[in-house]
Amino acid sequence: MSLLKPFSRLPGLNSANILLVEREEQFQQSLADVLVEETTFTVNVRLAKSLPLPMENEESRPRIDLVVFIINLTSELSLQSAEASLKSLDPGYFLGKVCFMVTNARSAAAPIERLDVARKLAASLYCPLLFAEDQTPDGVTNATERLLTILKVAAGLVPMATSLYLSNLTRSTVPPDIEQPSFN
Amino acid sequence: MADSTKRCLQRIMRLIPSYMLRTTLEKWGRFTVEQQKSIDFTRSKWALTEVLLSICEENKFAMKHLTGLEMIYIMDNPNQGMWYVLQLLDPEDDAHSVELMQFKEQFKSHLKELVRHVSIKIKKHTDQAVWIRIAWGDAFSPPNHLKPTYVVHYLQTPSVFVTNLTSKQKPLLSQAMLLSTRHQAIKDANLSGRNLTAIRDLLMRKYQQVFPTKSPSPLAENNQTISNPLIEKEQAEPAANRLHMACKAFGGGALPQLQSAVYKLETKFRDHSNKTMTEREEPFRCVVKFASTNLLESLRHCASSGIASTPVTPLLSCIPLKGRNYFVITDNGPGPSSQTHQPQN
Repeated sequence: MSLLKPFSRLPGLNSANILLVEREEQFQQSLADVLVEETTFTVNVRLAKSLPLPMENEESRPRIDLVVFIINLTSELSLQSAEASLKSLDPGYFLGKVCFMVTNARSAAAPIERLDVARKLAASLYCPLLFAEDQTPDGVTNATERLLTILKVAAGLVPMATSLYLSNLTRSTVPPDIEQPSFN
Repeated sequence: MADSTKRCLQRIMRLIPSYMLRTTLEKWGRFTVEQQKSIDFTRSKWALTEVLLSICEENKFAMKHLTGLEMIYIMDNPNQGMWYVLQLLDPEDDAHSVELMQFKEQFKSHLKELVRHVSIKIKKHTDQAVWIRIAWGDAFSPPNHLKPTYVVHYLQTPSVFVTNLTSKQKPLLSQAMLLSTRHQAIKDANLSGRNLTAIRDLLMRKYQQVFPTKSPSPLAENNQTISNPLIEKEQAEPAANRLHMACKAFGGGALPQLQSAVYKLETKFRDHSNKTMTEREEPFRCVVKFASTNLLESLRHCASSGIASTPVTPLLSCIPLKGRNYFVITDNGPGPSSQTHQPQN
């Protein structure tokens, strides 16, 4: 099984590579359009529907600094697809180079149990869990800014900070009362 | 003006929306220029009806003039009501040389022989379609102009589109059509929809067809030219393959607006965990209906985005292939590969 490995290639100069994985292939496109507008360094965005990635691109693919799993909480298949894709990721990525982004958390169609499952997943893997709003341009810009902050560290562009160090601050935790019913 | 004529005019006024009224009356062309100018189209529908009633009385219009107005409106706005398709089979030797005048005379004479009191109006539309308006009566009552049947037929094609036809009127219409188009049988084509242009385009394949190619399809190349070179899709090739297969099954570009597809299943229940249901002898009857504002577009998107598996299952791809949207699915008999269903009929 081909795993995506974090350090199998040399890094690029003043550039960062981000991989956005989303089953619906919608939000990743709008995020990509805003991400490439970053001027201080070059952002290369790669889009995928799920992992594992096709073998044909193995040669041309640069070193991926950050893998972002975008989960739409209104769809159970979205969560399942993200979970299945995790198996194709080398364990080296889970030291701060993986991030979860969930959308539609406030939607009435998203059951609360699914958010809890996503939270537990992120917490068990020591990854940050970001909430994003994908319908408005402001929401997309905000999500992009947060991703860029983590990406800069993961690509080594911030002196004195590594992604493992940052993950200690950003990783998701499960509140102790997650099993208790919440009041709506 | 007779009561029935007044009611017919009132019905026509209810049908035609206010913003279409001026253009439809101009197309009809039976009002003089002064009469047309004297109508104030900003008044309410009810007031306009009164105005039109008085002008029609002044001109001494009869029912046949008003039915012309109704027909003009329906011919320009055919996408209302429910249209059903019938198919003519077994053409005789001279079926391919039936032309308009002959068809008109034959149809009128045959239908009048079958039904004593019937009012028929036949018109040819700009796209060579023959439109027939039929108001049915019987031996004792005059034709009912408030519930007319409309029939659309393209000469020398086997399809007949009908709306507003009751089951009692169907055999009479069928007989008249068979004799005037020189065919021997007529049957239900299992295609229906609200949008006449859509079902016609579907049957006559008047939408963009995509043919299988070995080289990469131009659809995938188009997408790459407009996007940023820094953004790269990892799974572009499988996505392009899926898109190509979806377009092969359903067509490229804009698709005819079909609203629903109905599958009537008469297959045996299959679930090994549920013994009581699988042991029953009779088939498990169930009806599956797909509905959408544009069903073919939705199905194509399902296939291209991976929700439906590609290559597209024949159960879905036979909607555009055979031009039907009502299917009865039965088992193909017992066998080891009894998991697949074969569409029949």
